[in-house]
Amino acid sequence: MNSILVLLHKEFTLEFRQKYAIGGVFLYVFSTVFIVYSAFIQIPTTVWNVQFWLIILFAAVNAFLKSFVSENSDKQLYLYQLVSPLAVIISKLIYNLLILLMITGLAFLTLVLLAGNPVRDAGLFFLTSIVGAAGISIAFTFIAAIASKGNNQATLMAILGFPVIIPILLTIMKLSANALGLIQDTAILSDLGILLGLDALLLSLTLLLFPFLWKD
Amino acid sequence: MSSMKKDWWKWLGVFILTLVILIGLLVPLNPGITNVSPSNATSGTTISVSANGYNTFFTSAKNIRAWLKLAGDHALAAKSQEIISDNEIIFTFDLPSYLPVDQLYAETALVIDSDIDGAFVRPFALSINQKEVNVELGEQAWSSDKITDLSQTNHFRYPFRNILVETIRNTYFHVPLWFGMILLFLGSTIHSIQFLRKPNELSDQKAVGFVSTGVLFGILGLVTGAIWAKFTWGAFWSWDVKQNMSAICMLIYAAYFVLRQSMTDQDRRARVSAVYNLFAFMAMIPLLFVIPRLTESLHPGNGGNPALGGEDLDNTMRMIFYPAIIGWTLLGVWMAQLKWRTMRIESRLRE
Repeated sequence: MNSILVLLHKEFTLEFRQKYAIGGVFLYVFSTVFIVYSAFIQIPTTVWNVQFWLIILFAAVNAFLKSFVSENSDKQLYLYQLVSPLAVIISKLIYNLLILLMITGLAFLTLVLLAGNPVRDAGLFFLTSIVGAAGISIAFTFIAAIASKGNNQATLMAILGFPVIIPILLTIMKLSANALGLIQDTAILSDLGILLGLDALLLSLTLLLFPFLWKD
Repeated sequence: MSSMKKDWWKWLGVFILTLVILIGLLVPLNPGITNVSPSNATSGTTISVSANGYNTFFTSAKNIRAWLKLAGDHALAAKSQEIISDNEIIFTFDLPSYLPVDQLYAETALVIDSDIDGAFVRPFALSINQKEVNVELGEQAWSSDKITDLSQTNHFRYPFRNILVETIRNTYFHVPLWFGMILLFLGSTIHSIQFLRKPNELSDQKAVGFVSTGVLFGILGLVTGAIWAKFTWGAFWSWDVKQNMSAICMLIYAAYFVLRQSMTDQDRRARVSAVYNLFAFMAMIPLLFVIPRLTESLHPGNGGNPALGGEDLDNTMRMIFYPAIIGWTLLGVWMAQLKWRTMRIESRLRE
């Protein structure tokens, strides 16, 4: 538990020392929103929904890519002797979730500023965002850990990550379409259940398999 | 002879598959009715209904009877019949003035019974309209004829289904290929677990062999499914959730090979791809078995549709279907074995 906190502290210190990485992600969110807004001028609610989640998806890929790549093997060897792999992956998961929630909030604010706020059911939208962001961050953290072992990590991240994320993304989009009043669906609870189930499945797989990945 | 003893399961697989393909493709379908015209009639008239038979032998039958059947016991026997050919027959019905229902129309099924072909039914063959409702008179008129003494036949035949017709044979290819794929992926997962517990080259090669064959089976399953979809749903690809999720599942496993290619160090490649393989298998289960069940789908067994069974898979078909699963799986294991043996030879040659 202690080591998780120490590692989290390390992640945040590193992040604030090199502000360009997280700043780059924020700039990315802003410019994507701006480009789509310029292209569509008037953004319809259907596009709003898709765009919101695509921004988060691609921002997550960019932000998480460096979570394992930036650590060279010497430092990993050092960490390996100090703490358990579980502490490493849990701290990465928490850190990435916090970053992704920040990105989600920022993307939402930017979109609202430029394209208006179409959210009808704020509670459902908030819940979907949290559970969805958790799913995306768990999946991409684990995929980043796998991709960091190969050459050409950025391509690997996309190839490995996108098929895995599709069921999560489809469920999220359906739920948020409900929250935006685009569709009327009675199966909201079962969809939330699916999303939570997928989150739990991915989380247990990540915790179970990461120790095998980490040793090098 | 020693190879015969050791490799008995390969011979068994080939034997079963040969039988499955031969019997699966050669045994004819039960007789059925492909078309009935006209499809509408009015109460109180005399109507000639022409029926097109499939696999029927009307000209050689000695005794053919036909009924229009309503819900419950209500039926109306044909007054006369005229045989045009083996596959075409015209029945004449004297429709009573009233129907035994409290609405202005009723759907009837056409039941034909022949001493050679047995009994067969076309549901929703003729819809009958009436000008006014009189349930009592309708009950009287539709109760005198009974569907009794249906002919029994003991042919070894597959069921005739209106939407499927001859494509029902795809049950021996499409469905067992998916079963086989899942078993092969399961085998691969077991070898990956073995590798993670005790790293060795053979487990890695076996895992790759099983994944390769599994992907091949998956692609064949998609293709046979698309052909079936073209016939029954009208298009090769209908963007049905089951089709989409199966395609995504293939993408997840295709990424396995890309991942392997991206690593040069052998130990690392074996370990990382074993981890990914476990992940892929667990990711596949919700894709194929959870999500399609919860959304609308055209596919049997999903979105509230009935699964395999009922009249689509009767006991005749079960006799071919279950061996087909075993046969395809044995063939898949054999192919996987060839794959990992080739990999083994290649790695020896490199050393």
